[in-house]
Amino acid sequence: MENRNTMNKYELGIVDTRNIIKTLQDVYNYDFKNYALTFFKRRVEKIIVRYNLKDADGFIKRIETDRDFFEVFLQEICVENTEMFRDPSLWRVLKEELFPQIIKDATNFKIWFPEVSSGEELFSTAIILKKLNLTQNVQLIASSISELDVERTKKGIFDPKKNEVNDANYKRIFSRGELSDYYTQEGDKAYWDTSLIDNTKFIKQNIIFDDYPKGIKLVLFRNQMIYYNQILQERYIKTIYSSMVPGGHFIIGNNEKIDYWNSDKDFTLINQDESIYKKKLS
Amino acid sequence: MYKAVVIGGSAGSFQVITKILSSLPKNFPLPVLLSLHRLKHVRSGFVEALSIKSTIPIVEPYDKENIKPGRGYLAPANYHMYIELNKRIALSTEEPVNHSRPSIDLTFETAAQAYRDKLIGIILSGANRDGAYGLKKLKQAGGLAIVQDPNECQVKTMTEASLKLTTVDHIFTTEQIIKFLLNIK
Repeated sequence: MENRNTMNKYELGIVDTRNIIKTLQDVYNYDFKNYALTFFKRRVEKIIVRYNLKDADGFIKRIETDRDFFEVFLQEICVENTEMFRDPSLWRVLKEELFPQIIKDATNFKIWFPEVSSGEELFSTAIILKKLNLTQNVQLIASSISELDVERTKKGIFDPKKNEVNDANYKRIFSRGELSDYYTQEGDKAYWDTSLIDNTKFIKQNIIFDDYPKGIKLVLFRNQMIYYNQILQERYIKTIYSSMVPGGHFIIGNNEKIDYWNSDKDFTLINQDESIYKKKLS
Repeated sequence: MYKAVVIGGSAGSFQVITKILSSLPKNFPLPVLLSLHRLKHVRSGFVEALSIKSTIPIVEPYDKENIKPGRGYLAPANYHMYIELNKRIALSTEEPVNHSRPSIDLTFETAAQAYRDKLIGIILSGANRDGAYGLKKLKQAGGLAIVQDPNECQVKTMTEASLKLTTVDHIFTTEQIIKFLLNIK
């Protein structure tokens, strides 16, 4: 049971956590120091238990010498999307108002997912576009710090344990069809119809973008910045700002907000309930 | 003196919570962190229902919101609520713990790390074991552990699991919890 796992869990000290962050920086040039500390610590603790690494030293020794394990670590640190169509009210707004309004007459309309993690936000968007017959108008771009997540998403693999929640959310948005029209299940594995993401461009990136796409008209980045501290949040938002065209839309999680010094000069909140912002025309 | 109160509750705790929140003075000197099991797909309504009864303002915090005294912070639907060492809220959509998101264990454990011996933890009525481990961590960090009297609980599972795992400081009825909180300076 989960409860028993938490009982035997390993606890990381602050000094150990700093040493781990330093190792990741020195060996792989990935800078985790601006991740939210409580989250990062807890996540590494779970990895140490799951992979029988005993303690911080065990973790450091393994990751220093094992590049493949570093990729496993990156996937573990990327939090999966909880479900398809999380917050159905947002997806109803996208389906009924925003997408018809801004995509219907567009060509090469670029939508960016700065951290695609397990892919549910990408596939939810792709399904709505398909239903609205707008697929050919858009270019989807999905970035991730995790190569393994990129590969998993490309193959359309997802966890069928989420099916019950996914299906229920689908029914809160669509009166017709079934979510299973878009996936197949084989035993304990499930696959999205990857034709949904035929025109998606995938990018593997470092935490701080070395390079980022330009001319973006819509960004979906919900519930990922909550794992960063305010310094890194601001850095991400400013990069996203630069990637977007004036008047472009930026959607973040329900209980997130854009709130740095002078941020109201960059963005206007146009839908408070669903956390939809618009880049100002400057 | 104490710096924060953290309260965990599940089935049968709503009336207890509202009774407590309606009895606090307007200038209650501590923040009240509320990790309560709730329907994950119902985003609105809960904080409003608590606010109607409460004397102190209750919010569903934004990520990284600063924790202030005299306010209640309710873990939003379908998020875990952590307390960062710098006394800010951090939200999380990580996997459920004890089938729960929000998880009471996670709020208690992170609050214990942030507030150490300056924390009061209260476990109320509930139908699963969530919170028991968190209360144990709170006690280990030097905090004050209170459990609602199981005989008074609509559902005893959560309080009994907590009592099994931890030697608590007080087993209180709702009235005693209120009296205790009113005496905090």
